[in-house]
Amino acid sequence: MLLSVRNLHARIGDKEILKGINLELKPGEVHAIMGPNGSGKSTLSQVLAGRETYKVTQGEVLFEGKDLLALTPEQRAVAGVFLAFQYPVEIPGVGNLHFLRTALNAQRRSRGLEELDAMDFLSLAKERMKLVQMDQGFLNRSVNEGFSGGEKKRNEVFQMAVLQPRLAILDETDSGLDIDALRIVAGGVNALRSKERGMLVITHYQRLLDYIVPDKVHVMAGGRIVMSGGKELALELEKKGYAWVEKLGPAAGREART
Amino acid sequence: MSAGLQHYLDVAQRFQAEQAETAPLWLRALREEGLAQLSRQGFPTPRHEDWKYTDVAPIVSRGFAPVGAGRSVDLKARVEQLALPGPRLVFVDGRHSPELSSLEGLYEGVTVKSLRVAVREDAEALEAVLGRRARAEAHPFTALNAALLEEGAFVQVRPGAVAPSPVQLFFLASGAGAAPVLASPRIVVVAGENSEAALVELYAGVEGGASFTNAVTEVVLGDNARLHHYKLQAEPDAAFHLASLHARLSRDSSLTSHAFALGGALARNEVYSVFAGEGGECVLNGLYVGHGTQHLDNRTDLDHAVPRCTSRELYKGVLDDRARGTFHGRVLVRQDAQRTDASQTNRNLLLSEEALVDTRPQLEILADDVKCAHGAAVGRLDEQALFYLRARGIPRAEAERLLTYAFASEVVGAVKLEPLRARVEQLLAGRLPGGARREVGA
Ligand SMILES: Nc1ncnc2c1ncn2[C@@H]1O[C@H](COP(=O)(O)OP(=O)(O)OP(=O)(O)O)[C@@H](O)[C@H]1O
Ligand SMILES: [Mg+2]
Repeated sequence: MLLSVRNLHARIGDKEILKGINLELKPGEVHAIMGPNGSGKSTLSQVLAGRETYKVTQGEVLFEGKDLLALTPEQRAVAGVFLAFQYPVEIPGVGNLHFLRTALNAQRRSRGLEELDAMDFLSLAKERMKLVQMDQGFLNRSVNEGFSGGEKKRNEVFQMAVLQPRLAILDETDSGLDIDALRIVAGGVNALRSKERGMLVITHYQRLLDYIVPDKVHVMAGGRIVMSGGKELALELEKKGYAWVEKLGPAAGREART
Repeated sequence: MSAGLQHYLDVAQRFQAEQAETAPLWLRALREEGLAQLSRQGFPTPRHEDWKYTDVAPIVSRGFAPVGAGRSVDLKARVEQLALPGPRLVFVDGRHSPELSSLEGLYEGVTVKSLRVAVREDAEALEAVLGRRARAEAHPFTALNAALLEEGAFVQVRPGAVAPSPVQLFFLASGAGAAPVLASPRIVVVAGENSEAALVELYAGVEGGASFTNAVTEVVLGDNARLHHYKLQAEPDAAFHLASLHARLSRDSSLTSHAFALGGALARNEVYSVFAGEGGECVLNGLYVGHGTQHLDNRTDLDHAVPRCTSRELYKGVLDDRARGTFHGRVLVRQDAQRTDASQTNRNLLLSEEALVDTRPQLEILADDVKCAHGAAVGRLDEQALFYLRARGIPRAEAERLLTYAFASEVVGAVKLEPLRARVEQLLAGRLPGGARREVGA
């Protein structure tokens, strides 16, 4: 198993947000997570990436059999966890190229690999940018600063292409993309699918899943996964809306609205 | 009278007696006025409004004194290592060192002389400026500098001359010798009409004996003259440093000042700029980076005395450990100064719980047709940005460094002089958290 999430509870302050998440992801699989606003999807992804503002109160997370929750965010990245943020952070003054090289080299160093020099990294970056058809001009700008919503999302997938994680969590990478960009970015993500790599794709829209066809679809509501199924589930959700989930899982549905 | 003050008065009196024979009358008068003013004002205590946050007791109570002439310390290798390329005057422990200086490559429109030489050779031109901008009656440490006035530099830029490369004044505290060393450099710059030039003041030191630098710089810009002034203070962490820059800007002239305060146990940098003719432009950039128990104090005073002038001020501070910083920036827009365009920004980054900063922007606007903006901020590293970097595999300490560096880079990036910028970047890298902190002057 690549990722096992068992009865995961997490809170911020006094507010419990994740209320017992269970999820198993095998290498090579892509799982979609859908669910209404505020149901805890981003919280789950941030907890998996190691955001310290959320406190895990119960449960465990195993990544390739090892205790993921014991690791710092940077150790998780080195282990192969990658989160494409729903809201990528703007970092004025830090160059995109420099940032990504620092990240890749930090990971390589921790894995005992040789660091890439500026020249080698530049050619790697240029090659990987093609995957999401990103303009090279973005390399010289500050990280995400002044990027449009769609450009930020492309930049996330570009980073993933450079860092080559074992587990990629894509948190609404499709929102903010125009129809052409959606196709391009989804193409980039598909190109990164492999039998060693697992992906959790968080989205509100079935349309993305036409491009990135998931092995499984989970529906989250009120901090729990209330329904799981095949890719058809996404279609059904699109037709029937979340009220349908509410009917099937009344407890979860109610919590989803509080 | 405090024993501390008495010591400095004695030192100055002795100095003036020794020099009485050789000094021209006007210089003697200037020194005596300095002494009289120091005696009258005394040294400030935290009870003085201007010195509320900066206690000079550690300086006053220690018997700093100028070193005698003719002492020689072999510092050639050191100087070669630390000086920037290009023409330079070098001062060791406040004394001009002809052997270590070299004016090779000096642009022909620029004259640079040690102050002692200038007193003999350019008395008239020097006398017309010296002590006119920096008034002993306005400031006890300016008075002290005047009382001990001997060393320094006189830089003249001929009207119309456009000097592409900077003149460098390099002040090195040797750290040699047991007695606490006082250096009192006075720098006078006169830029003629339509000229353009750059000046670098570089302060560094070798870890060792105690040093106190009390520097005063006076700048007079002719009509449409441009001066780029760079000051890099990178003295050892135990050094004391007080300095002021006083500038007068004539019609359509422009002053760009970059002030970096990195070293010193206690360092205070003051900039006074007066617009005396319309159409002037003044850019003040500053960066102070402190750790340990460093105390870094910054004062700026911009006087929009006439209409249609522009000022842009950006000071940034980074404070770690128990370091303390202050920024007091005054912008005065006088009643006649219509169509003034002034902006002032001070931002501070605190890297530890115990670091402190006191920021006081002070805008006094007496004219009505003006564009003025100001802002001051004190913050910590952005937690979201930190997480973003760490989530990409960058270790916490390195991520903090990256963000801190990014914060400072706005000021560093404004330095157009490439070798100086590289030096500042290198020094900064050594001083930010996780860097090799012991670096000195390099
Ligand atoms: N830092 C925080 N402080 C307080 N509440 C928070 C915080 N972070 C998340 N929450 C709350 O936790 C709940 C889940 O938020 P989360 O961002 O995980 O939802 P989501 O499923 O990703 O929603 P969306 O589809 O809108 O992105 C929300 O009610 C949110 O307000
Ligand atoms: Mg979300």
